Parts: sequence; structure tokens; C-alpha cells
Amino acid sequence: MSLLTTASVLASPAAPGSPGPGLADFGHDPVWISIIKGLVIFVFLLLGVLFGVWLERKLISRMQHRYGPNRAGKFGLLQTVADGLKMGLKEDLMPRKVDKVIFFLAPVIISVPAILAYSVIPMGPVVSMFGHKTPLQLTDMPVAVLFILAMSSIGVYGIVLAGWASKSPYAILGGLRSSAQVVSYEIAMGLSFVAVFLYAGTLSTSEIVAKQADGGTATLFGLDIPLPSWYAILLIPSFLIYVMTMFGEVNRVPFDLPEGEGELVAGYHTEYSSSLKFAMFQLAEYVNVFVVSGVAVTLFLGGWRAPWPISLWDGANVGWLPLLWFFAKIVLIFCFFVWVRASLPRVRYDQLMAFGWKVLIPLNLAWILLVATFRALRVEQSTPVFILMAIVVIGALAVFFRFDTVQQRRREARAEQIEEEFEQLREEPTAGGFPVPPLDLPHYHGANRKEVPSA
Amino acid sequence: MELYAPILVLAVLGAGFAVFSVSIAPFTGPKRWNRAKLDAYECGIDPTPQPIGGGRFPLKYMITAMLFIVFDIEIIFLYPWAVAFDKLGVFGLVEMVLFIVTVLVAYAYVWRRRGLDWD
Amino acid sequence: MGETITFWVLAVVSVSAALGLVFSRKAVYCALMLGVVMLSLAVLYAVQDAPFLAAVQIIVYTGAVMMLFLFVLMLVGVDSSDSLVETIRGQRFWAVVAGLAFAALVALGVGNVVFAPAAGLGAVNAAGNVPSLAELIFTRYVFAFEVTSALLITAALGAMVLAHRERLEQKATQRELSRERFVKYGEEGLDPSPLPGPGTYARANAIDMPALLPDGKISKLSVNRYIARYEAEEGTIDPKVAEILEGEDK
Repeated sequence: MSLLTTASVLASPAAPGSPGPGLADFGHDPVWISIIKGLVIFVFLLLGVLFGVWLERKLISRMQHRYGPNRAGKFGLLQTVADGLKMGLKEDLMPRKVDKVIFFLAPVIISVPAILAYSVIPMGPVVSMFGHKTPLQLTDMPVAVLFILAMSSIGVYGIVLAGWASKSPYAILGGLRSSAQVVSYEIAMGLSFVAVFLYAGTLSTSEIVAKQADGGTATLFGLDIPLPSWYAILLIPSFLIYVMTMFGEVNRVPFDLPEGEGELVAGYHTEYSSSLKFAMFQLAEYVNVFVVSGVAVTLFLGGWRAPWPISLWDGANVGWLPLLWFFAKIVLIFCFFVWVRASLPRVRYDQLMAFGWKVLIPLNLAWILLVATFRALRVEQSTPVFILMAIVVIGALAVFFRFDTVQQRRREARAEQIEEEFEQLREEPTAGGFPVPPLDLPHYHGANRKEVPSA
Repeated sequence: MELYAPILVLAVLGAGFAVFSVSIAPFTGPKRWNRAKLDAYECGIDPTPQPIGGGRFPLKYMITAMLFIVFDIEIIFLYPWAVAFDKLGVFGLVEMVLFIVTVLVAYAYVWRRRGLDWD
Repeated sequence: MGETITFWVLAVVSVSAALGLVFSRKAVYCALMLGVVMLSLAVLYAVQDAPFLAAVQIIVYTGAVMMLFLFVLMLVGVDSSDSLVETIRGQRFWAVVAGLAFAALVALGVGNVVFAPAAGLGAVNAAGNVPSLAELIFTRYVFAFEVTSALLITAALGAMVLAHRERLEQKATQRELSRERFVKYGEEGLDPSPLPGPGTYARANAIDMPALLPDGKISKLSVNRYIARYEAEEGTIDPKVAEILEGEDK
């Protein structure tokens, strides 16, 4: 980043202990500062995609005991550049039946909102840029988190329209499927934010980061122990649910159903073959990953603030340095994405939808009400609150236990059925009309387990 | 107003880049005519005739979309409620419990009638 | 200044999109135009210092309601034409009544805004846009808020009644399907395995290469009719394949 070298690296005017910029710090930038910030974010996202694809391939290869790309450039760093160039030089196929206008529009519709969502992600405190004091965030608004959700809901159009415009069954099914998936997980994702807003009392991203600056201290045996301030620790269930919805929201393994190549070829972008249009879909996918990572960092992992042992140093959250913490957190979350991809298989579509609708949403609602009752208890401690809290706790437990017993019963029924079948087969191996060789034939590892020498 | 103007910068950059890439795509690559390339890709199998006009898609998706609207509206109410919760206090909690329970009635109905099952 | 410019730009955009919505012949284009109109409205709300309303406009209308429209369009077949037969009796009469009632409602609402003394944005948004709104919704308009949940129940029930088909028998599991295949194999001699791929003796495994049986003949099951038709039209078809297909035609 050239900004780092050209701009004077000055500490922000805020005192080291101050929570950082809030809503009032935005809206004062001259146009050219906005242009610089927008340009830097844009370049960051593009380079991020290039670097991200490389990092993902490299990491996943290492996890599978391979080398990964190592030909183009040092450590294969130029591999993605080469791939991008190759995409540009590929023939741009356009099947006869497609709806031409929407076929062109879909890649644009999917990629622009993804990029726009990054304008409200805070990356650092107020710094001095060419002698002008400005926060390291393009802009902020009273409804910044809603803005991110709005952008992701526009992005879904890209998926639906790409599928529809292609007029091929794979593409349409892929488009419908993945848009249904994205909207389902958007609900769970939106619900997982509610607990954060209960604590932060604001929807503005910069202020949510500021609220996570300090968790207060607890005095134990005369020692002041700093309490955790990140919402990821205070609100662990919300954070865990958010992490799961992250994967559903951006169509990544284990929820990458639209690209279930065994059934749908490439889902909604099947007809986009390999040209620059396809590159836009790829770009949007990675930018979306960065957006959900950015949201995770901002809402749950303390934003651009330094992690705990470093945050004890007064200079950690001042000036340009926090950019480093922010990028480090993003890269770590991205590595987590890759790790999950290397570890987990793809789930089936009915399992995916059932998980989103039947598990994440009720759990989320119960958790929100629990948090709210605890919060109400802090505001006033009266008998009605206790009664209400008892009702909520009992209700939440009832939902959980009903869910759990139903699962348990199903599991037992299935095990019983299998056992029954085996019992039947043990008595009569030809049952059911299958041409099964009897299991006690001498050349099988059956009754007497004798190896038969071949020939 | 001043809060939204900077988004325009990013919008212009992003839209410019996307439109540029999409519209130069047909000119940067070679063009080798082949009839098979003009057909929808179906792994070499005979393309399904009339995938959308005649063939219909499962109405399942409509229930998902409708439930999405229902829960979206619930979320929209939950956000301001959460932000102003400390001021609303116990009263706010009671009304939101009522609201969520009422919406859960619809949710439970759909669940029981297997509206959430996919197969 | 900025507000005026935005207004005039968006006025042109949204009015032309609305006209496109009315005159466009393809249903999906209409839906897209409607999306543009909704987005312009959202931007106008944002510019007039109603950010929460703007976000709700995008999330609920553009994101959810329009998505429902699009799904429905795809479900009923986008190119299907509308039937002009009126199935509900007295439809026109009630439509006129509903239209008049709506016009009266709009007139009352607008009149209320125009003639009542305005509170002013500064006073209304004093505690911030979202908290002020929350206080209004959850104290003064509690009843309307709770009634909304009844409306949501109606919506979910409506979707279930219209779109849900109860499954009457259990879905066939893989085990049952496999058993069925073998029963068919026993009774009708249908092969339980998938269609043959390129055989052991094939020289290539592309989709246009038919599988070879052990005696060197082509397995008829493996001939891809679609590709064979192209090849026959272009005259590049393998004579052996052509022979088999001809034999079939006769």
C-alpha cells in the first residue's frame, strides 16, 4: 500500500484509551479523500481475490500433502494472474437460447453489491491522511449492518437471473437451489446479529467496534483482571451460529450445493463456461467471502482492535497499525474457510435446508430471548422479570428437548430397522430376492476364515 | 446525505470494472464456430426440450420464499427492538416474546405439515 | 443541492423503469424493472434522512418480496401467457370498490401529512433514527406491531395452502429403489446396472464413442442418439453406428 509510505504516519488525535471513531466522525471527508479510500478498498478486494485464490490452493494442497501451484512466479504467486489472463483469452460461449440482456447483466448484478458491502467495514481508527483527519473506513451509517444485509440480498438476484437467463435445466435448478439456500441462511445470519445489537445498542459498524474496546475489569483477590470484550466470547452461541451461516451464505464447502458438480455441473453459472463473465462470478464469490469475514471481524472479533495480549500496549490501537490487526484477522478467517473445505464433505440439499430452518432458526430465537431476559434483569430486577425469565428458559429448554427426543427416537428406529434386516439376512441370505452368495462359502472370509490360495 | 456519497465512489468503480469485463469478454477470445457450443450444456445428453416454458419447477421454492418474507419481517422488527432494548425494558421484552411466539405458531404449523422437508 | 440532483436523476430512472415495467412483454423484465423502481425509492428514502426505511425497503421489498415474484414467475413458466377468463364473480365491481377505498386512504394519509404541523426531522431523529423509530413502534404503535404477527401467520398459511402438497406415501429410499431394480431384473430381464460406458476394447472414452461388446460389436445401449444425429447430419458418423441405428429404424 503506497498510502502507508506517502501519508505521514501520525498517531490519531484520540487518546490511547478512547474507543475509536463513531458515527459523528463520518461525512466530513472531502471528495478526493473518499475517492482515495474507495480506490484503496477496490484494489484491496481485487488483490485479495488474486491472493486469496492462490492462498486457498496452496493451503489446501499442503493439507493434502501436495505442493499446489509452484510454477508461475515465486511460490506460484502468479498462478492466479495467469489463470485470469487465460480466462480473458478463452472463447466466450453464448448458447443460442439464452436471454442475452440478462445473461450479460447477471455477472454485474452479482459482483457490484458484493464490492459495495465493503464500504461500511471499519479497518482502523482515525488517522491523518495527507494532513486530513479521517477514519479508516469509507463511510458509516446508522444502519450499516442492515446495509450489508441489503447488499447480500441484492446479490442473490445475480444467482437467480444467471440461472434463469441460461435457460438450461442445470443452471435454473442450480440458481433456484442456491438462491433458496442463500435466503434461508440469510435468516439465520440476520438472527445471529440480534444479540450483538442488544449488547451494542447500535447498528453502526464503527460504534459496534468501539463498544468492543473494553469489557471492564473484575477484581479478584485485589487484582484487576480485564474481562473479555469481544462479542465472540460474550455471545458464543451467536458467534457459532454466525460462523455456520457464513458458509451457507457464500456457497462454500460444506454448503457449496450450487456447485455440486455430481448433480448440477456448475449450478447457476454452468453456461458461463470459462470467459471473463465467469471470472466475475469467481470474483463475486471470493469478495463475498471477504465480506462475511469482515462482518465476523467487525461484529464478533473486536474489529480492527488488537487481540488481547497486544492490546495491553498503548500504541497497539493507534494510527495505521490497526490495519495490520484487521488484515491478520481476515486472513485467519479465510484460512479457516480453507481448513473447513479440506476437512468436510458436502452435505445433501435436504440436510442443508433442514439444518438451516429446523435447527439454526429456533435455536437462534431461543438464544435471543435468553439474552434479552438477562439484559432486562440488568435494567430492573423485579418479580415479573424473574417470572418471564423462567418462562423463557423453560420454553427454550422445551423446544430443545422436544427436538432432541425426536432426533433420538428417529435414530433408534433406524438402528432397529437395520438390525432387523440383518437378522433376517443372517437366517436366510437369499431373502429379498438379491443374488447374494451365501456368506459361509469357503472362499469368503465367512464362517471358518480360511484363505484360499489363488489358482 | 454526506454519509452515502462515498458509496457512490465504490459503486462507480465496481460497476465500471464489472461492465467493462463482461462487455470485452466476447472480443478477447477466439471464435471457433461449432454447433454443439450453441446448445445448453447437458453433459452431451440431448438437451431437455423447453426447460422452462413447458417444464415446471417444484412449488416448494415458493414456500421457502414466503417463509423468508415472514422471517425477514421478524428480523426487521427485532433490530430496532434490540437497539432500543435498554430503554424499552421489560415491556419491550414482553411484547417481543408475544410477537415471536405468534410467528412461531405459523412456523410450527409449516413444520408439522412438512413444509420444511425437502426430498 | 445533492438531494435535488439525486431526486431528478432518480425521477428519470424510476419513471422510465416504471414505464418499462408496464410495457415490457417479458415477465422477468417486468420484475427487474420493478426492482429498479424499488431501489430508486430506497435511495430517495436514504437521501431524505430515513436510512432505516431505506434499508427495509431494500431488504424486505427488493430482497424478499421480489424474490417471491421471481420464484413464482419461474414456477409457473415465464413464457406462459395469461388467461383472460375471469373466474371470480363480481371481480370488477369489488376491484373498483377496493381501488376507491385505497384512493381514499391515500388521500387521507397525504392530507394528514400536508395539513398537520410537521414535527421536523431534527426533533424526530433526536435520539438517532433507529432508536427513535423503535420507541414509536414499540410504545405508541404496539397494537399494530402485534397485529403484524397475525398477518405473517396468514401469509405462511396461505403459502402452505396454495403451494404445499402433502406427501401421501413414504418416499422410496435407496434400499427400496435398489430392490425394485433387482425385482425388475428377475421378472423382465432389465439390466440393474447403469448404461454401459465405453467398453474395455474401446480406443477412447469420449461420450461419442459407443461401447464395444466382447465380440467387437457395438452395444446399442451406449450409442448417444443426440450426438449421432449431429454426426449423421454432418456426414461424420461412424458407419458401424449408422448401421445399428438404421437397423433400429426398420
